[in-house]
Amino acid sequence: MIPPPIVAVVSADHLSKWYGQVIGLNDVSVVVPPGVTGLLGPNGAGKSTFMKLITGQLKPSKGAINVLGEPIWQNPALYFRIGFCPEQDAFYERMTGLEWVTALMRLNGVSDTDAAAKARRAIETVDLVDAADKKIGAYSKGMRQRIKMAQALAHEPELLILDEPLGGMDPIARRKTIRMIKDLGRAGRSVIVSSHILHEIESMTANILLINQGRIVAEGNVHQIRDLIDEHPHTVYIKADQTRALAREFLSQDDVLSLKFEDDAVVVQTAKPDAFYARLTDLAASGELGGIHEVTSPDDNLQAVFQYLVKS
Amino acid sequence: MRVFDLSLGQMLWSRRSVFLGILLGGPVFLAAAVRLIVEMSARGFRINGATASGSAVFGLIMWLLYIRFIIPILGVFFGTSLIADEVDDKTITYLFTRPVPRRAVLLGKYLAYVACTVLLVLPSVILVFFLIVPMGGSTIAGAFPSLVTDLGMLALGLIAYGAVFALVGTRLKRPLIVGLVFAFGWEPAVMLFPGYLKRLTVAYYLQALVNHEMPQDSAASVLLTLFHEVPSVAMSLLGLAVIVAVSLWFAGRAVENREYVLEQ
Amino acid sequence: MPIHDQGYRRYGGERAPRGQAWSVITRAGLRTMLARRTFLALLLIAWGPFLFRAVMIYAAYGAASIPQASAYFKPTAETFRGLLGPNSIEGVLIFLITIYVGSGLIANDRRANALQIYLSKPLSRTEYIFGKLAILMTFLLAVTWVPAMVLLVIQIAFSGSFAFLKDNLFLFPAITIYAFIETALMSLAMLALSSLSKSPRYVAVLYAALLFFPSAVYGVLYAVTRSSGFSWVSLRADLDQIGNVIFRLASGYETPWPVALFVIAAVIGLAAWILERQVRGVEVVA
Repeated sequence: MIPPPIVAVVSADHLSKWYGQVIGLNDVSVVVPPGVTGLLGPNGAGKSTFMKLITGQLKPSKGAINVLGEPIWQNPALYFRIGFCPEQDAFYERMTGLEWVTALMRLNGVSDTDAAAKARRAIETVDLVDAADKKIGAYSKGMRQRIKMAQALAHEPELLILDEPLGGMDPIARRKTIRMIKDLGRAGRSVIVSSHILHEIESMTANILLINQGRIVAEGNVHQIRDLIDEHPHTVYIKADQTRALAREFLSQDDVLSLKFEDDAVVVQTAKPDAFYARLTDLAASGELGGIHEVTSPDDNLQAVFQYLVKS
Repeated sequence: MRVFDLSLGQMLWSRRSVFLGILLGGPVFLAAAVRLIVEMSARGFRINGATASGSAVFGLIMWLLYIRFIIPILGVFFGTSLIADEVDDKTITYLFTRPVPRRAVLLGKYLAYVACTVLLVLPSVILVFFLIVPMGGSTIAGAFPSLVTDLGMLALGLIAYGAVFALVGTRLKRPLIVGLVFAFGWEPAVMLFPGYLKRLTVAYYLQALVNHEMPQDSAASVLLTLFHEVPSVAMSLLGLAVIVAVSLWFAGRAVENREYVLEQ
Repeated sequence: MPIHDQGYRRYGGERAPRGQAWSVITRAGLRTMLARRTFLALLLIAWGPFLFRAVMIYAAYGAASIPQASAYFKPTAETFRGLLGPNSIEGVLIFLITIYVGSGLIANDRRANALQIYLSKPLSRTEYIFGKLAILMTFLLAVTWVPAMVLLVIQIAFSGSFAFLKDNLFLFPAITIYAFIETALMSLAMLALSSLSKSPRYVAVLYAALLFFPSAVYGVLYAVTRSSGFSWVSLRADLDQIGNVIFRLASGYETPWPVALFVIAAVIGLAAWILERQVRGVEVVA
């Protein structure tokens, strides 16, 4: 029987989790689509709680959570399809990397020979072949992080859940891991990545889930989220020959809220970015106010969205 | 079985094996020392001043070292640590995010504990047997059936104590202290009480399977001998089986329902 | 409104003289333990034997009209000796407190890799060890030396005279010396074991084995040889013998008391050596 296509890899319905008097997650209803999704939030936001709920380590206090269409709590069969890379730095230190990944693969019901082969393949993927036969206790932080990734990948799961996977990695390893995650997404696997490092999440995916104080603050494409934040004026940085002339022109427009000068540029805040950009394009094309050399929007990125949503 | 393999390797080839080695080598060393003392003194074995056979001295060692100390302490140590060690080491996440029921993880670890301890305790007992029994008129052939019974009894003790302390370990916050109080406080005390209380101990059923005379090394032992109520072998085996089954079942339930929140 | 400089400023206050950093560790450890209700309950229970003896002393002087009762409950050196363990209910409670407080003292720091942080401060290894030792010794003395001393005061208060004290003046130094020997031995042994592992549970079992296994071995040797000349094997027997000697009671063992003292000193020395080797800022994994 062909299983129905997965619409959502994770769906939470009025999900809440509290620890005694402390609320970890507060009435969260969200659907995580297939593909690569970044899970963002400051410390104490509820990211870890959400991660633990979707990996079945915690039971919801209220509401429901489904992963790949099924409830995850007390459903070990689902772990054939899920790979989890936890944040904590914990291993069987006396085992070698290969032994460890192979042993965990065997827990997936794979035969000894296949387990060893899959483990090797996973270790090759994370570029740890040279250290595979060394004891994990002797690994550096980055190597430990990579062997953790290997155990999550080895059984080729449909859904990969990665909790701070880039921590401790050097820049080259980070780049490779980011590329690997993007490749996994392109290959049809789903990945949920939790991280504090905003620009790296941004380089992996435009699809984010932003959590703060136990609630989902925003979900979706980061640019769409940015557009939706209407009350927050857009900042546009314009480097030009005649900044003062440009400023006089901008001040005559109602949607321009403020402007300031920086070196050879003028920084404008506007409530209607689309209309503003349209006029700017006309000005640049006509050349009547001199040359316009650079136009950027410092806050059309994840950092700005994060700061605005989290700190407001 | 995969969990069993993984856990057995962890148990056997860890630094804790040193502790096991000392604990189980101690009786062998003691047996060698006792034999040396007796051979040098040429008096033969004596217990409480009276001449005793090697079998009797072996029985004394069984009681004082294995039954009253080594078996319970191994049960407390390994039983309470089955899941707790993985939680402390934060490696429990890897086991509980595999397609293996949590109950099966616990069972695999428990079986590894049984295999590990039986593999180490029984040879220690056999060595003590061969060192002590041939002296003082006993023969190995004559005492061998008793050895087989003793080995079976010790294995049952490890199985039963391990199960009880596995339950303690999965349910309580400070299982070790509770385990030590149970094994070295509650059990010896309650065995002196009349009535049904003593049936809530492993020692009541286990000690009924011991075919050596209990040593009179303290007032409590004398009292125990006087008021000793011995269930039948069948009753003891049934009691131990029930204890093991019930303990493991509740321990499995605890592990399945419990949320393990690891410190970050 | 004055404008305050928000920038970094060096600390200009007073600093404690060097060599007192251990007290920070001790204070923190004491506060942590005293915040636990279970532990407070255990401490309270550990004072139970004191209460029992105080009632006995009250009965001895309060029931003066019943000479048999008065004679039966009259305090002796043994009354105070019994409060200090190791072969009594007090010994069990002291054992439990030692395990509760001591098993994680260094083991938890090793597990959390906190030793590196501690030793990167102006804190020597000796101060670190002393600070940890002081935590355990404080609690052990609180259930041994303190109740014994309070019991002496109670005896004076209930008897209404200093006669007993004058006749048994040695009790003050005896209680102090024995309590310190006992707590030092147990604390150092526990601390040394705690430095060997990252698992407080394993440490607790090692400690239980250290105390009870040799006692079991001695039990076998005694039964076979009918001689207490092997009592030196058992730490509890050694402590018991030293206690008897300090309190001017019958030794009870054939082993000469200097041998028992030597064994105790050897264990303390071994514990100190282990601590010196184990308490390091780095651990090399081959």
